[in-house]
Amino acid sequence: MASSQHVLLSPAELAYLHASLSLAPPIRLDGRSPTQFRPLVAETGILPGTNGSARICFADGTEAIVGVKAEVERTAQRPGEDTVFFEEGGVGTDDADEEGETRDGVDKRKGDASWVEMTVEIPGLRDDDSGTAFLSAMLSEALLADGEFAKRLWINRRFHWKLYLDIILISPPLSYPLPLLSLTSHLALLSTRLPRLKSEGDEDPFFDDDWAAAPHLYPRTAATTTRPPITLLVMAVGNNIIFDPSKEELTVADVALAVSVTSATSPSTLSKPHTTDAEAAAAAETDPESGRNLRLLSIRTIDPPSRLTPPGVANAVNAAYGAAGTQKATLEAQTAAETEAVEGVWKAPRGGAKRAVLGALVQKVLERGGVVDEVLDALEAVELG
Amino acid sequence: MADRRRINGPAGATIPPVFDDVSTPKLKSPKTRSRPPNTTRKMYLKTGVTPSASGSAYLEIETSATPGVSGLKLSCSVHGPRSLPRSAPFSPHIVLSTHVKYAPFATKQRRGYLRDPSERDLGIHLEAALRGAIIADRWPKSGVDIIISIVEGDQDRETSLLQGDEVWDMMNALGGCITVAAAALADAGIDCVDTVAGGVAALVQDAGEDSIPTVVVDPIPSEHEKILAACCIAYLPTRDEVTNLWFRGDLPTSDIDLYTSLVEKGIQASKNANRVLVGCLAETIE
Repeated sequence: MASSQHVLLSPAELAYLHASLSLAPPIRLDGRSPTQFRPLVAETGILPGTNGSARICFADGTEAIVGVKAEVERTAQRPGEDTVFFEEGGVGTDDADEEGETRDGVDKRKGDASWVEMTVEIPGLRDDDSGTAFLSAMLSEALLADGEFAKRLWINRRFHWKLYLDIILISPPLSYPLPLLSLTSHLALLSTRLPRLKSEGDEDPFFDDDWAAAPHLYPRTAATTTRPPITLLVMAVGNNIIFDPSKEELTVADVALAVSVTSATSPSTLSKPHTTDAEAAAAAETDPESGRNLRLLSIRTIDPPSRLTPPGVANAVNAAYGAAGTQKATLEAQTAAETEAVEGVWKAPRGGAKRAVLGALVQKVLERGGVVDEVLDALEAVELG
Repeated sequence: MADRRRINGPAGATIPPVFDDVSTPKLKSPKTRSRPPNTTRKMYLKTGVTPSASGSAYLEIETSATPGVSGLKLSCSVHGPRSLPRSAPFSPHIVLSTHVKYAPFATKQRRGYLRDPSERDLGIHLEAALRGAIIADRWPKSGVDIIISIVEGDQDRETSLLQGDEVWDMMNALGGCITVAAAALADAGIDCVDTVAGGVAALVQDAGEDSIPTVVVDPIPSEHEKILAACCIAYLPTRDEVTNLWFRGDLPTSDIDLYTSLVEKGIQASKNANRVLVGCLAETIE
């Protein structure tokens, strides 16, 4: 797995790193604050043959390219209430207009998870490597979790767009590439444009030749703040919560989480069927300056590579330091080393994460005006090519 | 007519006439949940079913469609701990490899013989859940293989339409996988900090569009109108720790309580599964 690639740090180095990250405030290897991201260079529209593309280069030298290609595909028909036969499909039914919204405001668009195909390629890993499968499952899960994204690909009742998202890491995986790949695909989706539809109803789709008239998949107007999801990597060491860990920092993590969030437009959320009172109240009190309504899409535990690190040996049980005492004393020292943590001696963490720690991690990610808002603001500033 | 070796049908095909007065059987409306919201389904667990493996277990969970009939059937075998091959690099810990595979006939849509990405994904989730439970540094330079075959997936065969996507079924399957793997690990005698068990909870919307969503334990997708979010949790009860958390859905971030209650219910489901697991292991010892 990509997160558990071998890091050549000795137990002493690991203990030092863990101790410095557990301080309050933590001291990170590269001097960042706990919530600070690595600096990055981003650009969009770099691939002219795609519907949308982006490139991001992190300061540590990892670089990813994402290309989005769309194809028109016939929707598989199931016998049911909205089956369209060819004869009636040709004339164009007038109860559905181009957006698929009927006059009474009911959304007739339907989406399917199979309309999006995501591939992740990481150099040095096999195509069928589980880590790659995990990464692409995580990214597509975030994209499809709310069920709204696939609806954007609806053309009419007979056709839909099939979206291919190809994510390529073009540098060796120097750190766990999840945040990089997620931010790059976010930008690529933001810059994605689909040709403007000229045909009406359930006709065979016919598109405008003019690329300049092609609307964005995620329209950028003041009214909508809906954005593609972003996935952040967060880890906890001791009582500290650290964002965007580097490879070495991840090696001493007690627990690591990948949290996917998105920002949705408030009005659409209000019209959503599952609006609860609490949610409506929250939407009303969305702070005016950001106007974002964040939604939690998915959380996954990342198996921290710290469980695979070699343990250190305490002086009390080390024969080189004169620990070769009586059999009984050695045994006692060994049980102590097995059960108690010795200051400055690295021991791979056992067991899972406390409930409170997990809760604090998620809370920290979701807090208003926190890292998510910061990252979304930064990505919004990227010019769409 | 190039093909003269076979008896071909007529060139022009016709559609058989369909008469209006034939009463077509109506699709059944989705069933409603018969259990209280915080009760899990009945579970059958047995260890030591595969004599040739060093540890094995078999799990059945009652289905929704017909009461008393099992829905999810899982079989797990553990091979090892055994020494790593000479060519493998040194490892200070046990090398865990998990392998989850649906039988080709386990789901409505046939599965191939090669593992597809969703099965690999399940394998990684399972690995994360078990790695927290195993005391890995007691076996340096050795490896253990955990192989789970899902003999029957938990899908309601009476509903003809595929409702929603399969991910909710995957969560239920993962919960079962974690429990059965923990039983097989215990049967193989591999040291663990605690018995880990999986539990699933979901936020569902049952009646109508405007109803208030409720949190239920051990959801069956076909019993609910809409599943808004679900989470699968692997939990160590005596240490009160979570080794794997998988949440998916769409929740407003302003309402963190909803998420917290989902996790709490997931832990409760996992505790229920753990009771079955401990009972089964105690029975084996006697």
